[in-house]
Amino acid sequence: MSENKAKSSEFDDILKQQKKLQRKEQLKNDLPLYLMMLPGIIYLICNNYLPMFGILLAFKRINYAMGIFKSPWVGLDNFEYLFKTKDAFTMIRNTIAYNAVWIVMDLAIAVFIALCMNEIAQRKIAKVIQPIICFPSMVSAVILSFLVYAFLSQSYGYLNTVFFKDNPVQWYTTARYWPFILTIVHIWQSAGQSSVIYMASIGGIDKSLYESARIDGANKLEQIRYITLPLLKPMIIMMLLLSIGRIFNSDFGLFYQVPLGNGMLYETTQTIDTFVYRALIINNNVGQSSAASVFQAVIGFILVMISNLLVRKINPENSLF
Amino acid sequence: MAKNKNKIKLMKGETGFHYTALVIMILMMLFCVVPLILMLTVSLSSEASLVRGYRFIPEQWSLDAYFFMWAKRATILRAYGLTILITVVGTIISLIMTSMFAYPLSRKDFKPRNVVAFILFFTMLFNGGMVASYMVWTRLFHIKDSILAYLLPGSLMGGMNVLLVRNYFNANIPYSIIEAARLDGAHDWTIYSKIMVPLSKPIMITIGLFSALGYWNNWTAGIYYINNPKLYTIQVYLKKLMDSIQFLKTTDLSNEAVLLASRSLPTESARMAVAIIALIPILAVYPFIQKELIKGMVVGGVKG
Repeated sequence: MSENKAKSSEFDDILKQQKKLQRKEQLKNDLPLYLMMLPGIIYLICNNYLPMFGILLAFKRINYAMGIFKSPWVGLDNFEYLFKTKDAFTMIRNTIAYNAVWIVMDLAIAVFIALCMNEIAQRKIAKVIQPIICFPSMVSAVILSFLVYAFLSQSYGYLNTVFFKDNPVQWYTTARYWPFILTIVHIWQSAGQSSVIYMASIGGIDKSLYESARIDGANKLEQIRYITLPLLKPMIIMMLLLSIGRIFNSDFGLFYQVPLGNGMLYETTQTIDTFVYRALIINNNVGQSSAASVFQAVIGFILVMISNLLVRKINPENSLF
Repeated sequence: MAKNKNKIKLMKGETGFHYTALVIMILMMLFCVVPLILMLTVSLSSEASLVRGYRFIPEQWSLDAYFFMWAKRATILRAYGLTILITVVGTIISLIMTSMFAYPLSRKDFKPRNVVAFILFFTMLFNGGMVASYMVWTRLFHIKDSILAYLLPGSLMGGMNVLLVRNYFNANIPYSIIEAARLDGAHDWTIYSKIMVPLSKPIMITIGLFSALGYWNNWTAGIYYINNPKLYTIQVYLKKLMDSIQFLKTTDLSNEAVLLASRSLPTESARMAVAIIALIPILAVYPFIQKELIKGMVVGGVKG
């Protein structure tokens, strides 16, 4: 019996050793794979994970002379200062309000364009129209600001010298015009691009559905209402949810560069992203800037989690996790 | 026969709908093109005719703006060259890093792949915010006023792109090919460079194009990290040009120094000409790459 036990323990040892060897072998085999990931891992650490610890900065009073690490902790002071200012209310209101209106508007426009494009898809001109309406999304915000300037410039702009010759409008100093200007510019830049997804989904709908509807005497509008839109519904809901996850983010270029960073337009153009830039780089107010930036990051994380959980319920394939 | 196939058969009552859609889309196309045309014609107008305002059809055509730029070519060509350099280098590094990261993730026999996938994935859900990122790059890595500022912060390797490439590997390259190569004694580096990358050209092209576009259009890195005018890319140069116009607008022009400064600035038409020049490379390649770009918009759009 005891001999048997000794034998089995010997056997175990051999097995263990073999496993160890196997693991070593495995590691040696996988070494190239680890090496391939190394640059990426280093980059993720520098670009993504170190800044996550940088969140702690928002709870410090940064003093460059003392160095970041030695700067004193101040608890929630930065947040308190930030939320006492009128800026905080303005930027949060603007960020959410623009997003809320644009999410709905973008969706309606994108689906509408997709329906129209689908209707003319067989014409040759469709092959020209589609690339052209997608082109504006390739234009940088700086060039965009030149395009807008060509229309709105006080003394030379197209609008002032053609339509408002007698009493020129001060576009760049009057805040109340900018919700409309920004909305038009936003549509110009993104409508074509966002319609592409819906065009692809409509293209994937079984054509025989429309054929049988036509035989039953359904007109085009009825076909859209009873076939296309119901089949697009899952996609529409998913895109809505995904954009809700980004409701605290704004297009920095559009809100900062297109109004030319003009201080007189804060009321309608200041968003969290433009505030963070102004406070950090222009006004050198690291405390409030980092408080706003952390606020955005944390709320953004919560919203992304919620929206993805909801997306997963509807269509796991399109969820991030 | 082929022609007949393309013809649209319309039933009664459908023509109205069809032509409405056609008109709407043509209007939409014009809406997208018109601002670009205005910018182009302004750049081709003589300075004198612009005094009465920007017009779609200039009263007097002129190439003066482009000659003016040629006179200032030292600055503009430097900015242009730097932009090209950043775009090319950034895109290549980004493609290599992304695909090298995606390959192990696609290997089902690679044990730590779930852990690594999570590390990557978490960066897509959460970030430290702009200020934290700025502090890390400037205080820890000191990239202020160097070309690295255009390349490193942001999306040298974006999580979404890695996942897209990994999914492409998984969906289009059967594992049996990799196994066969290994039996023949192929090293992982060989499998990656001789099998995976060449077989995944479509996704590499799509991601490469978007990454190139991102680098070409990247001006925010310039305003966050760059103060040295010698390191301005064409986009940053344009941005600073716009700033100086605004500065002059808000300053008393009776001040002689300012007036002198305003003379050395590119004229009205030349500003638009610089913008056109920055847009030309995109305009030039767009017709050839638009199919890939639009495909990419579908894939990327669905995944946010």
